[in-house]
Order: sequence, then C-alpha cells, then structure tokens
Amino acid sequence: MGFFIAVYLSPVLLVLVVVALFILAGILLDRRMGFLLALSRGIDRLNEFVGKSVSWLILAAILVSAGNAIIRKVFDMSSNAWLELQWYLFGAAFLLAAAHALKQNEHIRIDIVYGLFSRRVQHWVDLFGHVFFLMPFSALMVVYLVPYVTRSVESGEMSTNAGGLIIWPAKALLLAGFLLLALQGVSEIVKKIAVMRGKTDDPNPFIPAHEQAELEAKALAGEVRA
Amino acid sequence: MIELIAQNMAPIMFCSLIVFMLIGYPVAFSLAANGLLFFLIGVELAPYSNGSINLSWPLLHALPDRFYGGVMANETLLAIPFFTFMGIVLERSGMAEDLLDTIGQLFGPIRGGLAYAVIIVGALLAATTGVVAASVIAMGLISLPIMLRYGYDRRLASGVIAASGTLAQIIPPSLVLIVLADQLGRSVGDMYAGALIPGLVLTGLYMGYILIVSIVRPKLVPALPLEARTLGHGVLSLIAALIATALVSYAAYRYLAPTQGENADILAATVGIIFIYCVALADKTFKFNLMSRLAQQVVIVLIPPLALIFLVLGTIFLGIATPTEGGAMGAVGALVMAAAKRRLSLDLVKQALAATTRLSSFVLFILIGARVFSLTFYGVNGHLWVEHLLVSLPGGEVGFLIFVNLLVFFLAFFLDFFELAFIIVPLLAPAAEKLGIDLIWFGVLLGINMQTSFMHPPFGFALFYLRSVAARVPYLDRITGKRTAPVTTGQIYWGAVPFVCIQILMIGLTIAFPGMVMHYKGKPVDPGSIEIKMPDMPGLPPLGAPQSGGAGATPDLSAPPNFGAPAPAKPATPAVPDLSQPPSFN
Repeated sequence: MGFFIAVYLSPVLLVLVVVALFILAGILLDRRMGFLLALSRGIDRLNEFVGKSVSWLILAAILVSAGNAIIRKVFDMSSNAWLELQWYLFGAAFLLAAAHALKQNEHIRIDIVYGLFSRRVQHWVDLFGHVFFLMPFSALMVVYLVPYVTRSVESGEMSTNAGGLIIWPAKALLLAGFLLLALQGVSEIVKKIAVMRGKTDDPNPFIPAHEQAELEAKALAGEVRA
Repeated sequence: MIELIAQNMAPIMFCSLIVFMLIGYPVAFSLAANGLLFFLIGVELAPYSNGSINLSWPLLHALPDRFYGGVMANETLLAIPFFTFMGIVLERSGMAEDLLDTIGQLFGPIRGGLAYAVIIVGALLAATTGVVAASVIAMGLISLPIMLRYGYDRRLASGVIAASGTLAQIIPPSLVLIVLADQLGRSVGDMYAGALIPGLVLTGLYMGYILIVSIVRPKLVPALPLEARTLGHGVLSLIAALIATALVSYAAYRYLAPTQGENADILAATVGIIFIYCVALADKTFKFNLMSRLAQQVVIVLIPPLALIFLVLGTIFLGIATPTEGGAMGAVGALVMAAAKRRLSLDLVKQALAATTRLSSFVLFILIGARVFSLTFYGVNGHLWVEHLLVSLPGGEVGFLIFVNLLVFFLAFFLDFFELAFIIVPLLAPAAEKLGIDLIWFGVLLGINMQTSFMHPPFGFALFYLRSVAARVPYLDRITGKRTAPVTTGQIYWGAVPFVCIQILMIGLTIAFPGMVMHYKGKPVDPGSIEIKMPDMPGLPPLGAPQSGGAGATPDLSAPPNFGAPAPAKPATPAVPDLSQPPSFN
C-alpha cells in the first residue's frame, strides 16, 4: 500500500497538500484574505479570457469541416491533416473552456436534493466538492498528463493516418485544460471560503434548473419580440 | 466482512454513485471522483475479492489515453457543437416566426388548422434547429395568442405546442440521437435513418389526435374566421405552382437523365424548386401578380428551411456527407439564411458561439467523468453485475424492454438526457445486445422515451418554456381588444396529458413494429449472391464480423433481417478484461 501510494499518488498528494497549506496560511496570515482574493481574481480573469477566446475555434472547426466536405465532393480530394484539424479545434474549445464553465457555475448538477438545502449547506457541499471531488481529479490528471505529453513531444509522435498532423499539440491541450481547471478550482475554493465568511458577495447565487429554464426562455422571448 | 465488501464492490460503487450525484456537486466531477475513490478501495481489496476485482495501479495510467482517443479524437461527438450552433443561429434568424405565420394562414381556414400548423412547424423546426426551447417559445409567443383569440381550448392549445416542440428531440438531427449513437457504438447515420420514420409517425399521431378532436369536439378547435385570413385565398394558385414545379422538374429530368444517370432525379427536383422559388421572388419584387399572395408567401417561406433540411439530412441519408459534415454544412447554411433575413450580426455569432462552447464543455466533461467511472466499474466487474441483473429479468426481450423503458422514464424526471446517455445507457447496452436486441432500435426507443420526459408534468422542460411565455395575468388582446383570461399552470399540465399518452402508445408501437426502425439496414440481401464471393477473400474477416457502423445504405451482412444472436466477434462477457487496454464504456 505504502509503496503504491509513494509511486502513483504521492505527486498528487503533494500538489494537494501544497494548495491546502497555501490557502490555510493565507487565511491565517491574512485575515481579510486580500492576497488570496487577488490571486483568485487573477485566475478568474485568465480563464474568462481563455474561455471566451476559444469559442471562436468552434466557428473555425465548422468552416474547416464544411470546407472539407465541399472540397472532397467537388475536387475529389481529401486531406487527413484537415480532417484532424476539425477535432483539434473542437478539443481546444471544450477543454480550455471547462474552467470558464466552472467559474460561471455551468457544469450541470442534479439539484433535486441540493435545491432543498439552505444556502449555507449548499456552500458546504460546493466546498466539499471542490476540495474532495474536483481538486484530486484535476491534480491527478495534471500529474499524469505531464509525462504523457512529454513523451509525445520527445518522440515527435505523428498521427497514424497518412499525412496526419503531429500529435503532441492535441495531447498538450488536455494538459492545458486540466491545468486551467485545477487553477480555477483553487480560485473557486478561495471564493467559496470568502463568501462563507462574508468577505465577498456570492458570485453565482443558486437558481434551480427549472427556474433557470424559465429565465432563459424569457430572455429569448424578449429577443424574438424585439 | 472484507471479503463480502470486496466481492460486492459493483453494487456498493453504484449505490455510492447515486449518493455522490444526489448531493448536487456538478455531475462530471462527481463521476470522476467516485471512479477514483473506488479505484483506490478496489486496488486495496483486490486480494480479498476472489478474482472479482481486476484493478491495479498501472491501469490508472490508461486515463489520458481514454480521454485522448475516446473523447477528443471522436468524430461523432464533433457533430454536437455543429448542430448546436446551427440551432442557435436559426432560432434567432426569425425562421420559426415566418413559418408559423404562413403555415397558420395556409391551414387556418380548416377546423383544427392552427393546431396542424403548430405540429407541422414543430416537425420542420425539429428537422432544422433541433432545440426544444426555441420551438416552444416561438410557438408560445406567436401561435398561442392567436389560438386563444379565436377560441381554441386552452388545454389543447398549450398541449399541442409543448408536444410539437419536443419533436426536436426525436426527429433527426437531434443531439440525443448523436449521443445515443456514440454510446451504443453505432453510426449516427444509422441512428438518424432509424429514427426518421418513428419521428414522422409520431407527428402523424399528433395530427390524428387533432383530427379526432375536430370531429368529436369541434368547438375546441375552431377554424380561423374570415377576417383573420390575412393572406386571403389562393390555394388554387398554390396548387398551380406545385404543378408548374413538377412540370419543370420533369422536363429537367428528361434533359439531365442521359448525362447525369442516377443523380438526375435529385438534380431535376432541385432545378424545379429553384425555378419556383425564383418565380415567387420575382413575382413579389416586380408585382407581376402571377401567383396569389398566399402561394407566393408559402413558397418563399417554406423553401429555405426545406433546402436546409435537404442540405443536412438529405446529404447524410444519401451518403454524400457524414453526419458531422452535414452538421457543419447546416451551420454554414444557417449563417447564410440568417444573413439573407438580415438578422446576422457579430453579436449573434458571438452569443451562439459562447452558448455552443458552454454546452460542449459541460457535455464532454460529463463524458470524461463517465470514462473515469467506467474504468473502475469495469474493473470491479460492474458491467457483468448489471448485465446479469438485466438479462435475468422475466419476460425475455419484451420484459427487458418494458423494464428499461420504465426505468428510463422515471430516471428522466431527475436526470437530463446527457446524464442518462453517458451513465445509464452504457450499462444497458451490453444486456440489450446479449438479448439480441438491435441497438439502433433500442436507441430509438430510448430517444422517444427521453422525449416524453420533456413534456411530462410536472417536471417537463417544454412545459416550463411554455409557462414562461404564456400569459400569467388577464390581458387585452392586441387585435380584438377583448379581455383574455390567462393560461393557468394546471391547464398547461392537463394539456400535456393526452400527448404523454400518445408517446406511450408510440413506444408500444415501436416495440410492436420494429420494422419502422429496422429499415435502416437497407433491403435484405440475397444470401446466395454473397456466398459465391466468399472463397475469393481469404484475408478478410468472416461474414460474421461486426461492421463498425457502416453507412445507412450498406446492408449489414452480419445479421439477417430478423435480428438474431449478437455479432459473434464481440464477446459481451470477457471473463477477465484485458488490463492493458480496458474495455471502453461505450
């Protein structure tokens, strides 16, 4: 047991312990959490920027894919590089936007029980989830993905399809996605603690899924009427 | 004690997954955390498990490859953002409004006409936008006030709108079908081909219900009064236009047939349609008065969406484009349509892209979480446990289908279809396959079932969309100036009930007549003609090898038309999963 933990999990535990100590020290040393909140704002801004920018990659993927289809039909040509580019672009978009989605509280939850809790209990559920669900998972993936990507870079791994693209950028996107997700996890933990201690306003007040649906419908209806 | 836990890891893991998800942390990460936690426990307990746990630390290193190969490099899933983007652009292009106005005028003069118009537009929107919210909101805003103004029964009006909006879930190109095809390991093209006829039959059933109501209780569905028929008469002119189109197409066919061969019929139809569209446009612009206003309007409004449907579904069914490419072409087509209606703006594109990215991200992360869960769940032989449970149900194939449909029906109250598709469907699929159930048929059944959850009171999302746009307080009608009573939530709920019954009937029909779905395999092949070729191909796999999701047109040689035993080359129950390459969960 000890051996396996040492080999397979110790880097993860190390990362998590460092993050936890960092946050704890921040809270103890800095009663108003000024530094931690500044850090969290920095992370938020980074992910906001990344999350919004990458959505253009979806448009690029659409144009590449439509172009591929037309060129194949009209000129009877097809290129594996362009076919692979489609999912490179989409992969970049959904992986790099995951952290932004976390920040906006857009990863779906089952709120049938959660909705019955008081806001205070909901905060505890979120904090618990960030610390014990999200962080170990994303830290583990970062720790595993670093050698995974390094190997790919060092070997200059190419796609097995004839004329395909080089692979490491795609694998690096996975790493970047989980890295951003882990960072956003830190920011969310800091923000959650600050909210629970009354230091800041709640950035994402809880709205049940059905109410959310009605709100979206109203917004859409407003647009249709306009 | 430890042995007991170790040998029952699968049920324990599944139950704790329910707890993990119910506490309300985002599903994607709850799934992953559950998988990781039980991986840790599983490795520790493996020595006590009497061989029922096959987990070891190095297996965890398979995760990056599962994400890379199974989620990122997956062309099927690429269709999700494309169709989502297409739907959002179309819902803001004003297409739904134009269709409702025009088709409402076309059918308005007959009893139940507005309801037929809603159903037809619902099906057209389903085949283009595929967004339940957009359809219901457009119809709730435009058709509901008209229906109320001219005396439609409130329950019936709201029921027909909510139900027609949910058609987007079952008529291709719906996202549900893409996700189900991916998780069942079948091709999206086959899934679309299989779902098309049930989708149309369902549309027909809705219209049949309106027909019955208009005969039995005509007061509930009155015809539009004369003063409300703003486009006037002119159905004859429309028929003339149709005949003209047919003549032009036929002439084009005769002209093209010698040179174009098989494609001549499609090309000729295209020529005919472009011709009538140009005539209508010219008629409108230069006021030739060739056609009645009604005919003109119908042609101009109806042809662009039909062309878009052909661009997307036509090319997929004819095997010209893959579903992913079809989605991309549709997205470009939607941008062109929005531009033609002068609704295209940088802001619209930005909003549509942002919404598409958001949806893609949370959907694919649920899939990533499900991959972590499945790695462990397979390792503790969870798939065997579920399969054993399901296969031992009484009643064989039908018993299994009834049980599964009931299960999904109730789960759909709490889980949305992405969660069902990524968590529950992979558990059901091996059992279905073992019972010899065709997975496309199974997928279409689940699709109809999940569609029902959108309109089932009190949780159905379509009802909430309708609630948010229907009047809550009495209002003065814009045209008549009469005070109109609001639509109560109870009326919306009761209105949905007959349609939920139609859905259940439809599930029964699909179980009873699998032929509606199974035509996707193409015509049965004469076995004699195949056997002759066999000896010449020693290098190829035997006939029984599963064809991984061939195109809809290719007849599946491995299975006879009546679905027999599952494909032999894919054993559903590996005694010990190959640890270096864990079986993927779809």
